[in-house]
Amino acid sequence: MSANPATTASASNASAAVVLASRLLVRYGGNPKPTLEEFSFSVPRGSVYALLGRNGAGKSSLVRCLLGQQKPTAGACALFGEDAWRRRARLMAKVGVVPEDPDAPPAMTASELSAFCARLYPSWDGAAVTARLARFEVPATTPFGSLSKGQRALVSLSLALASSPDLLVLDDPTLGLDAVARAAFFDELVGELADRGTTVFLTSHDLAGVEKMADRVGILKGGKLVVDESLESLKARFRRLRYGNEATEDAAAYGQELSAFDAVKVKVRGWGIEAVVSNYGDESFARFAALEGVLDAEASALSLEEIFVAVVGEAPPAAKGHP
Amino acid sequence: MIGRGLSVDPSDAIPLWKQIEENVRRLVASGALRPRSAMPSVRDLARDLSINPATVAKGYQRLVDAGILAVKRGEGTFVAEKPPALPRGEREKELEGGATRYASLAVTLGVSNEVAVERVKGSLGLLRKKRNEDS
Repeated sequence: MSANPATTASASNASAAVVLASRLLVRYGGNPKPTLEEFSFSVPRGSVYALLGRNGAGKSSLVRCLLGQQKPTAGACALFGEDAWRRRARLMAKVGVVPEDPDAPPAMTASELSAFCARLYPSWDGAAVTARLARFEVPATTPFGSLSKGQRALVSLSLALASSPDLLVLDDPTLGLDAVARAAFFDELVGELADRGTTVFLTSHDLAGVEKMADRVGILKGGKLVVDESLESLKARFRRLRYGNEATEDAAAYGQELSAFDAVKVKVRGWGIEAVVSNYGDESFARFAALEGVLDAEASALSLEEIFVAVVGEAPPAAKGHP
Repeated sequence: MIGRGLSVDPSDAIPLWKQIEENVRRLVASGALRPRSAMPSVRDLARDLSINPATVAKGYQRLVDAGILAVKRGEGTFVAEKPPALPRGEREKELEGGATRYASLAVTLGVSNEVAVERVKGSLGLLRKKRNEDS
């Protein structure tokens, strides 16, 4: 093999990663607590990366750094191996963006917007915009300002896809959309993924939608990236355990039997104990179920939404007292 | 048609590609999917289930590798003419895994051993009968 495996590995990672954040740190003004605490992560080519977090967790700051709209306090974001901040103008030709609140001159219609954007991009497929708008049943001749929120999101997606981007950044694109508009949005995204294998980075509160679409999941909590892994391994290691416990009466003793697990949450219920564990394994569960005092143990899978709530659910004590 | 038998549950612990793989295996085993019948395209199935096409592709690829599906260039994906039996070791493993899952379900539901075994016999009978009728 290579004489210097470390260099080789990082070089090949860099070429495979469409997004690479290295030791990213964002701090605003005199705030002693950073908005994003130093972390690194990457988005492999062709994958769909979902960034989750409660409001105020730092998602927007991260998206701004990624799009080169903001210079991180320390560290860097690279897109296609180039610095997002310094090479922004050049990189943005390869990136399609659907912002959380799509903004455009309110008097311009979707066709006018498409014609306008066509002059800014080296390749622009205006016909595809028209076809998408027709599929979405969004009128191309209504001023942007008179469209509904859902229609604006769909116009924004149509425009974002028209330049055949290599990376699509979607900032909570389905927030506030009704079920029909949301389905149309995800439908179009499925088509795009099937046709071009575009790399997607999205933030979303629609965890059921994300669960069907994402390969990798990142969870931001208080500026820390507490989860960054494939959806498959995330779902494999989280389980809800329910069991009867002879020691339930003894408050000091309950939960002792869980010592083999990382219990994220433990609740005493009328019938026994319910715990969410983050390092489930079939073998450790079998040993756990056989422990003396553990009765009728069962393990059930968690949806992404339940995992998310278990990971970020409790407000950190430090946040109390602050607005 | 095929889409109806091929549902997936994103909240299940089993990865979506694996659910697709198991569903297709089941449909082929039951005869609901006949040899040489056309599978929906990756794109159509992804759209029907609104899941990432890469997930569908991964499930299909595993089935192609296992010889259950076959790709005809330019035509699409089909159920293989003769879906092969699994190698003995694999078969044992699959069988044991399936049996454990079913047994856990029976125990969780509080069903007696007799009832659980009867149900398996019933299902086996139905599947084999359906297969014989079809062929």
